[in-house]
Amino acid sequence: MPSNRVLTGSRAMVEAIAHEMRADPKVLVMGEDVGAYGGIFSSTTGLLDEFGEERVRDTPISETAFIGAGVGAAMAGMRPIVELMFVDFFGVCMDAIYNMAAKNTYFSAGHCKVPMVLMTATGGGYDDGGQHSQTLHATFAHLPGMKVVAPSNAYDAKGLMTSAIRDDSPVLYMFHKGLQGLAWMAAPEGASAEVPEESYTIPFGEARVAREGSDVTIVAISMAVHHALAAAEALAKEGADAEVIDLRSLVPLDREAVLRSVAKTGRLVVVDEDYRSFGLTAEVITSVVETDPGLLKSAPRRVAFPDVPIPYARPMEQFCLPDPGKIQAAVAQTLGKVPA
Amino acid sequence: MTDIRIPQDLWDVSDTPEGVVANWLYRDGSEVPARATVAEIMVEKATFEIDAPVAGRLTISVPKDGVVRPGSVIGRIDAT
Amino acid sequence: MQPSKEQLLWMYAVMAKARYYEDTMAQAYMEGKSPKFDIGAGPVPGEMHLAAGQEPCAAGVCVHLRRDDTVTATHRPHHVAIAKGVDLNKMTAEIFGKRTGLAGGRGGHMHLFDPATNFACSGIIGESAGPATGAGLAARLQGTDAVAVAYLGEGAANQGAFHEALNLAALWQLPVIFVIEDNAWAISVAKDKSTAVADNSLRAKAYDIPGVHVADNDTLELFKVAGKAVKRARAGGGPTLIEVETYRYYGHFQGDPEVYRPKDEVSGLKARDPILRLRKHMLGKTDIREAEVEQALAKARAEVDAAFEFARKSADPAPEDALQHVFA
Repeated sequence: MPSNRVLTGSRAMVEAIAHEMRADPKVLVMGEDVGAYGGIFSSTTGLLDEFGEERVRDTPISETAFIGAGVGAAMAGMRPIVELMFVDFFGVCMDAIYNMAAKNTYFSAGHCKVPMVLMTATGGGYDDGGQHSQTLHATFAHLPGMKVVAPSNAYDAKGLMTSAIRDDSPVLYMFHKGLQGLAWMAAPEGASAEVPEESYTIPFGEARVAREGSDVTIVAISMAVHHALAAAEALAKEGADAEVIDLRSLVPLDREAVLRSVAKTGRLVVVDEDYRSFGLTAEVITSVVETDPGLLKSAPRRVAFPDVPIPYARPMEQFCLPDPGKIQAAVAQTLGKVPA
Repeated sequence: MTDIRIPQDLWDVSDTPEGVVANWLYRDGSEVPARATVAEIMVEKATFEIDAPVAGRLTISVPKDGVVRPGSVIGRIDAT
Repeated sequence: MQPSKEQLLWMYAVMAKARYYEDTMAQAYMEGKSPKFDIGAGPVPGEMHLAAGQEPCAAGVCVHLRRDDTVTATHRPHHVAIAKGVDLNKMTAEIFGKRTGLAGGRGGHMHLFDPATNFACSGIIGESAGPATGAGLAARLQGTDAVAVAYLGEGAANQGAFHEALNLAALWQLPVIFVIEDNAWAISVAKDKSTAVADNSLRAKAYDIPGVHVADNDTLELFKVAGKAVKRARAGGGPTLIEVETYRYYGHFQGDPEVYRPKDEVSGLKARDPILRLRKHMLGKTDIREAEVEQALAKARAEVDAAFEFARKSADPAPEDALQHVFA
């Protein structure tokens, strides 16, 4: 149904949570500053007012305890949405995530379910330094037992959150801070989107063609999708027609969508704000090469954050971050236009 | 025709004289329901919601990032 | 609070069953592992952590629990699983890695999950605390008077997860009972070399909840203390921390050379065996007859023997079964 409303990323995810909380008393939210503050990145604005303190809980700074409690509550029939304020904080509570939430279903041969959503803010570009700016897609995607999704726009944000809450498996919902539409952190033009008022889901493992094209495939997720689209626009002026694939979910990963596109274009650039080595960009390229290296007319390229801790000073951080210019240069290399 | 006006007492101007339009939540020319939240105003780190006074067609006069004060008119609604 | 005759016999049967289970497991575990101790060999490969001697901790608490109460346990879980009523056949098959196990062999001895009895355990120290707190939260939100019990070792009481969970359970006044089985050794490290306080039950004061110490592996004393804690939790009174001074007869893990233990420590402990003490109490201080006790013991052992036979006779899982049940 067409809609007039243009929601920010944060409003869209809140709307999904509110809808599910109205429909199902088993859904609750907990995390740091999710109550009156509404979430540091506005992930829970208004929920406390509507649902009260029992179902929207501010927690102490005890990630191991409240994420562990999320696991236990989920196993006991609740559907908790737990917020890890910054994905960078996973260090203090990773056991509860990857050894418990992600494994209890397997350890019980499916008899125990952990229908927990762990939502967490990712991303940099606003000078918050090396412990508050990471993206870490691969850290979680690499470990078996949890689904991992990352929306690039408000429409997907709402649909993916609804699907996440309804999923009986643990889902890591990684939302980029710069896509929330926060007044204090500008979002790119396409981050806000028309969002229907009614509830809807977006299936996991289904990528979206954000822009059709025939000369090169650019695969991206989250904030990188917007850089890819900006690069595609610039490339079009130079006569190169880029196809942009928004993966939307990492686990499960829509490898078929990538293969279909590369079969058409023969050229591949993968973009990710996470660290370069041992991650998403390698996974996507390998998925093509191990299926049919003959699809590629030239060497695939990747644009990702270099393997360095994220520097604080603006010129340094911006030097490292993916941006449309770097993507354009990578595309040019695949087209043989500049020496590699 | 009804103005969308920022309430005169929305924030204390002795602290912060100006705010900005942070987001419009409907496109220019959209039909909006009465009392729907149509815009967000940011004053330092606080965000305020501005609701449509009546239902009708929205015309935006102050775009996103535009500077505003209490009492500023940021758009209007033509009842349909 | 005194236990009824039924409760006494129940506790005795559970403890006798657990003891016989651990002793039987000790033997089964060593099959194929001698003369050379190859940890991956035999019908029960991998690690094994036995709780012989710690039976009161399981029986004295679980006697007060219902099926809908949750229990989370540790890497040394068998006695607690037995006390919670986990199906002995499926549990043993799981420990033997068989297709008929609780999880078709995917979990093994340290990862026993049984939603039918709301029992779960895990191999990471302190991991029992958070999920038990969550189960308590669920009971509250669901409007029931179910409680949750988290078992931990005295070593786990120094882990961050323990402190965070106590604080959270206390803050939200959740129906959670934390039971520390202080068996004096965290692998090879004695408690007084690891813990800044002599008595972990004192740590309850840091969270403004009751803390109770039970000395000398005393089943009847724990019965009283745990009964009070469970009643309090059910009535909405919040969490309790209980520390039980207990002992393990075996090493930390089977194959543990136990060089850290004084040579005559175990024989000294056996002289104070808690099952014998309970038996002596029943026969000397109540009207329970010896025949009833013997019958309970025989029944317990028969169940254990049947469970081990079931496990040994069960088929192995198909190798490719490893790929199943990752997601719900």
